Amino acid sequence: MHRFSGALALVICAALVAAGCGGGGEKDKGGSGGDANFSDTAGKRGGHLDVLSIDDITSLDSGYWYYAYDYQALNHPTQRSLYGWKPSDTKPSPDLAAALPTTSADGKTVTIKIKPNIKYSPPLQDRAVTSADVKYALERSFLASVQNQYSAVYYSQITGASAYKSGKAKEITGIETPDDTTLVIKLSNPVGVISNGQSLSLPASVPVPKDYAEKYDKAEISTYGKHQVFTGPYMIKNDGKGNVTGYKAGRRIDLVRNPSWDPKSDYRPAYLDTISFLGGNDIDVASRRILSGKKLASGDFAAPPVNVLRSALATRKDQVAIIPSQGIRFIALNTTVKPFDDVNVRRAAAAAIDRNALRLTRGGSTLGPTATHFIAPGVPGFEEAGGLAGTFDFAKNPAGDLKLAQEYMKKAGYPSGKYTGPELLMAGDNQPPAANTGEAVQSQLEKLGFKFNYRQVSRPTTFSKFCGSPKANVAVCPNGGWGKDFFDAQSLLDPVFNGKNIVPVGNVNWAEVNDPELNAALDLAVGETDPQKRAQAYGDIDKTITGQAYVIPWLWDNQVNIASEDVKGVLNRFNSSWDMSFMSLK
Amino acid sequence: MTRYIVRRSLWVIVLLFAVSFLTFVVFYLFPSADPALLRAGRSPSTERVEAIRQQLGLDRAWPLQFLDYLKSLVLHFDLGYSFHNDVPIKEAIFERLPATISVALGALVVWLVAGIGVGIISATRPGSRLDRLAMGGALVAISAPVYWLGLVSMYLFASDIGVLPILPGQATYVPLTEDPAGWFGSLILPWLVLASAYAAIYARLVRSTMLETLSQDYIRTARAKGLRERRVVMRHGLRGAITPVVTAAGLDLGIVLGGSILVETVFNIPGIGRQAFEAIGQADLPMIQGTVLFGALFIVVANLVVDILYAWLDPRVRY
Repeated sequence: MHRFSGALALVICAALVAAGCGGGGEKDKGGSGGDANFSDTAGKRGGHLDVLSIDDITSLDSGYWYYAYDYQALNHPTQRSLYGWKPSDTKPSPDLAAALPTTSADGKTVTIKIKPNIKYSPPLQDRAVTSADVKYALERSFLASVQNQYSAVYYSQITGASAYKSGKAKEITGIETPDDTTLVIKLSNPVGVISNGQSLSLPASVPVPKDYAEKYDKAEISTYGKHQVFTGPYMIKNDGKGNVTGYKAGRRIDLVRNPSWDPKSDYRPAYLDTISFLGGNDIDVASRRILSGKKLASGDFAAPPVNVLRSALATRKDQVAIIPSQGIRFIALNTTVKPFDDVNVRRAAAAAIDRNALRLTRGGSTLGPTATHFIAPGVPGFEEAGGLAGTFDFAKNPAGDLKLAQEYMKKAGYPSGKYTGPELLMAGDNQPPAANTGEAVQSQLEKLGFKFNYRQVSRPTTFSKFCGSPKANVAVCPNGGWGKDFFDAQSLLDPVFNGKNIVPVGNVNWAEVNDPELNAALDLAVGETDPQKRAQAYGDIDKTITGQAYVIPWLWDNQVNIASEDVKGVLNRFNSSWDMSFMSLK
Repeated sequence: MTRYIVRRSLWVIVLLFAVSFLTFVVFYLFPSADPALLRAGRSPSTERVEAIRQQLGLDRAWPLQFLDYLKSLVLHFDLGYSFHNDVPIKEAIFERLPATISVALGALVVWLVAGIGVGIISATRPGSRLDRLAMGGALVAISAPVYWLGLVSMYLFASDIGVLPILPGQATYVPLTEDPAGWFGSLILPWLVLASAYAAIYARLVRSTMLETLSQDYIRTARAKGLRERRVVMRHGLRGAITPVVTAAGLDLGIVLGGSILVETVFNIPGIGRQAFEAIGQADLPMIQGTVLFGALFIVVANLVVDILYAWLDPRVRY
């Protein structure tokens, strides 16, 4: 799951929208709010809230949702997955499910009980959710017409999933429904994130009644989203006959109460009567409106612009909520391009980078602590990988260490301590603040003698034509970024460093790391179901990755949310955003 | 005249075809990004990208795609579906068209009234302080970027964040049919901002053409005949000077109707300019095609109207 709305944000967290407050000292802030307590879930019932955003959701279909704004605007308020996220929790709670999954001793059979009598919104208001509906929801996430982005990653180990995906089977045989409230998932190998419920908290487990939705799923691109039925406390305004009317693409989403929702079955209080998500705003104006206005909250932007945030922290601290996003920003060094095929050159580059200076290009310490390795604070494996201080000498000094860098260059065979080879290709985003970060990286690495042909292009072009395209042979990509899918390091490490993920187009393993030992360790860790062993396994993998300096991590991102004075904000740690099911008016 | 209009209308079709073809070619020969890749999301497999490419019809040769597009357009007036969110293009454009028309027509009225008014005053008092002040002001208005002017106007006057909160600001647009007063109020700032640079250009244009017209023999004759100065300026001077203004106004209106990207963006007005801007960022070819076609249509139709107006304004013109 990723903060940046729209598929094109992806790995390039360059963020047109994110910025932050600069400021004086460079003391790390691991995330905090102003003086207000944004975890207090008590509230007053009633009222309307407008949420101001820059962009739009990526889809109306729960099978497609994958980004933080999809979760904030639709998933959390309007639908119930098997497992959900209470605002302060870092472990999933049963939502549609009655309890956490139980796993057999061999880790290959996972059983989930579902709460009875959870009803759909009109026109299916008389119908209760059954395990068969969850089974179909998981199945349809493999349909081409749904275009789900993560089912192949997290559910492909379900027995029969590949046969279903290829059209050889009419159902996934490994998902059984012995009765209406029991779901049994059979796995070909143990999968930690299914056993601990984390991947079952993703919106692919939002129930979808097959007999109702199948006709919509048969279209080239499913139209179920426009006719969906809801299980959460709110629903998108609709005509009660199965047609969504409260969505105007790019402009607004209107949520109203779901008459079928039973508060006794849910942990969400749903204080507000109605919520509107308004897209297409200018970030500067929207931030000012929220701070000085009434009944407004921020939606899809990572932080207000630097000047607005600085002023807000000085005068409206109680309206500013800062929370770690468990996202990471990094510089990728292509291990297939000389001289970055040499570990000592990569370590030299890592040592030379002034992380404090890079952080200032985004706004300074409020935007998060400088990173010393890959797994972000709050994700299991973080401490095992070295905690805040980190492990390796070349990553320890946040201001950079040119002397150490030159020593590594000498070890790599450059007697002067400086690179003397040909010019290298570097490609990055052409919009600030990412463009500023790229320029800072360029000038810092030039101190080590590197010369660059630096191509600054649009974010989609970076992804399509340069850093995401191995044949482009880009040596340095300064605007890398990645966010978690849930509180598990698999979603942070596997896509970015497993060699099997290197693809000709849309590649996210920008460093093109393909180390058989590392690949094996990553594959092994996926199956680990013991939480402590799992954290240790990923912590060790992170140490390997950081030690090899495939990438240079430089910031563990914070998210900055803002709300009007009369809004009682509640943050959800899962997507680092306001939780609309807990928000209320003062 | 009828033959002329028919001939011009046929040229409109040819031009729209050319614009459409060029947009397609540019999209395929100089692609900024792969729409299938953008739709595939993060960490996509090759198989997934290919499947989406097939779904979007991008796996076929572009000439074939273009022919299909033309067939749907001509036979069914179907502009296709957005790559980004699967919304029908025709529906999306028609939904946003009223906002763009509102912005454009209102701004046209403001810039014509202000531009012609200031131009006349300057032309009738050349070299005076008032003239110098007006032309200096015009230079400032031309130089001020619309985006900056929009933001400044909101920080000064918007009811929610302004220092003098007297006018509705960002995201306050409501359709005319829903709330006429709200519609008018929400567009005052956008109209003023969009019209400012145009008004300045028109003021300079009117001033220069009127100065030339007012020095003509027939104006001297009119004055010699004892006509009142007001009548000389408005009836004879302005009518002679207005032709280039009509030409410019027609073209500018066409351009603004094609989408005022900056004003629509700053004030969050859901018009087609903003839609086109977003579509470019999302490599959403069908939406880019649709908005470009509409933009081109507005410009050529505005041109045609201008040519017809010529004949009405200047009896010497015949087609």
